[in-house]
Amino acid sequence: MSWYNKRLAKSLWVFHVSASPCNNCDIEILDLLTPKYDIERFGIKLVGSIRHADVMLVSGIVNQKIEPRIKRLYSQAPKPIFVVAIGSCMSSQGVFRESYNRCKEVKEVVPVDMWIPGCPPKPEAMIEGVAKLIGVLNE
Amino acid sequence: MTKNRIPLGPFHPLLEEAEYFELQIEGETVVDLDMEIGWMHRGHEYISEQKNFTQSIYLVERICGICSTSHPIACVRAIEDIDNLEIPIRAKYIRSLVGELERIHSHLLWLGLAGHFIGYDTVWMWAWKYRETVLEMMEIISGNRNHYGMMRVGGVGKDVKPKDIPDLLDKLDMIDEKMEMIAKVANDDPVLKARLKGVGVLSHEQAINYCATGPTSRASGVPGDVRRDDPHDAYGMLDFDVITAENGDVYDKLVVRVLEILESSKIIRQCLDKLSEVEGPILNNVEEISPGEGIGRYEAPRGEVFHYIRSDGSNRPVRHKVRAPSYVNIPTYEASCKGISVSDALITLASVDPCYCCTERSLKIRSDSEEKPDLLELSKQKTERIRREYNGN
Amino acid sequence: MSKVDEFRDKFKDVISQEIEKKGRYYFNITNENLRTIARYLFEEMGCRLSTATGTEMEDHLQIIYHFSHDKTGQYFCPRVVIKDKDNPQVDSIVPIVMGAKWIERELFDFWGIKFKDHPDMRRLLALNHPAKLDKPMRYKEEQYDQE
Repeated sequence: MSWYNKRLAKSLWVFHVSASPCNNCDIEILDLLTPKYDIERFGIKLVGSIRHADVMLVSGIVNQKIEPRIKRLYSQAPKPIFVVAIGSCMSSQGVFRESYNRCKEVKEVVPVDMWIPGCPPKPEAMIEGVAKLIGVLNE
Repeated sequence: MTKNRIPLGPFHPLLEEAEYFELQIEGETVVDLDMEIGWMHRGHEYISEQKNFTQSIYLVERICGICSTSHPIACVRAIEDIDNLEIPIRAKYIRSLVGELERIHSHLLWLGLAGHFIGYDTVWMWAWKYRETVLEMMEIISGNRNHYGMMRVGGVGKDVKPKDIPDLLDKLDMIDEKMEMIAKVANDDPVLKARLKGVGVLSHEQAINYCATGPTSRASGVPGDVRRDDPHDAYGMLDFDVITAENGDVYDKLVVRVLEILESSKIIRQCLDKLSEVEGPILNNVEEISPGEGIGRYEAPRGEVFHYIRSDGSNRPVRHKVRAPSYVNIPTYEASCKGISVSDALITLASVDPCYCCTERSLKIRSDSEEKPDLLELSKQKTERIRREYNGN
Repeated sequence: MSKVDEFRDKFKDVISQEIEKKGRYYFNITNENLRTIARYLFEEMGCRLSTATGTEMEDHLQIIYHFSHDKTGQYFCPRVVIKDKDNPQVDSIVPIVMGAKWIERELFDFWGIKFKDHPDMRRLLALNHPAKLDKPMRYKEEQYDQE
């Protein structure tokens, strides 16, 4: 497995899933691709389909309507896949905790490997998080 | 000819939000369109009715990460409208300043994405690069890149320090220069014109009939703009134009947005000028909200944001209705998508081409980051440095 | 003569319980006059339908339509009171204002208000919701609560 992981760490392909967020985390994720932060220098690339991805970035509170879709996406992903939860909504459901439309707990929907809290997390925090993931893969 | 169905979504390649579209096509022509939404429903109105007025403002900020000051402005205006409260004059200018900065960053964001959607990645990278400057200005003013937390009932929460103003003006000069360049690109580029002219037309009558707002309707020649029609905050005291266009196609929407960025920067200059002259408090103390109903609206980058609040005299709203501009703009797809070809429909829906083919660079990084300061630390230092440089403490 | 006075003169027989504030004008109408008034506001005066708010009170439901007169910045807010809470029904204004389509679907979704002559009376936000809701969304929060 470590042989695979070491090669994986050089080019992580990322698929982004928005599960009822306020859109801000999503925009900050896209921000990472643009010249100021330029996360592509680490070989990280956003892809258009979960079937090509190594990492699944999830943001939002996961409402009840989207919950089965997230499960389905996870089951479609090639394994191993790493789930990175971005934003405070993912870790604690934030201000939306009292919503009638939320799901129970995010970690029961998909197994989360890494949490990056913040509302929204600064781009530097996200790069830090992804770099740590690469560090773990390299071990 | 047989009809075919193209399902799109809820997770498209690229488009940020999850929405489900179903295109009915005949050959290559779109004949009908159905949409399903609700994937993003979080029940804001219900949550807001459980919270007090101050908490509601922070909650509505999180309706949308891009319009994260338009909703609070509309919300505080709705609460102020119940009692016809007036706010201090300095607060008025700060509200308009923050609102217009947000308009620039939102239009740049759209511009970049639209460029990406038609395979024009240079525009994307440029627009988002200059957008970072706007976010830095926001960081100087409010302390955060997004979700500013500036609005309060009766004024604003944070003052603009006079010594920040020269730096803000410098950054604005840079944005102006680049925007003129992008406006020229939009005017001169034959490829953009060939790709976008006559695509996804929303006629004048349709725009009125669907009650569209914002750049969507202004591009179709409906000159509605809340800032001018219902002058509030500082907009009655400022000089600006409402940009309209005539054809209602995608190209006109692009032109309207680009020109609006220049108008916004004009407004910001006037606000900053006034802020260096006008002195006084920024927040009136509001003791209680009397029973009644209030309507607040604000011209967000995408159109009119509408908030309705009913109070029964307690510290909680008994009814809080929110209507975002996209809610009335999205149904116009029914009009603008019918009769065009499938490839154009995707641009009209602004959902698209998943091509991110510029990863040529890769860098080897190791996990020995203990010896170097980690990125988070660097980020904190950067914020500290900005604070030090611009605030002088 | 302001737009509000002009409007009041024309419809003084059918409107009641007026509240007039700076730039805002709320008044009650009945379901029978809804379409006449919507037609006058939208077609004759050139108002734009901002949205409609549904509210549940103790003994009735009410819908407030918010028509914005963009030339003057004046809001006209006709309020329709529905006494029958179990089977609420109102005339649809979609034949007059196309933009009301989603607004009325949302009211149906939240409060269960049925709109007569609406071309597409489906749920909006809870369409195909996995919880198989058979009641309006806002009536019972418990039906969402899985815990």
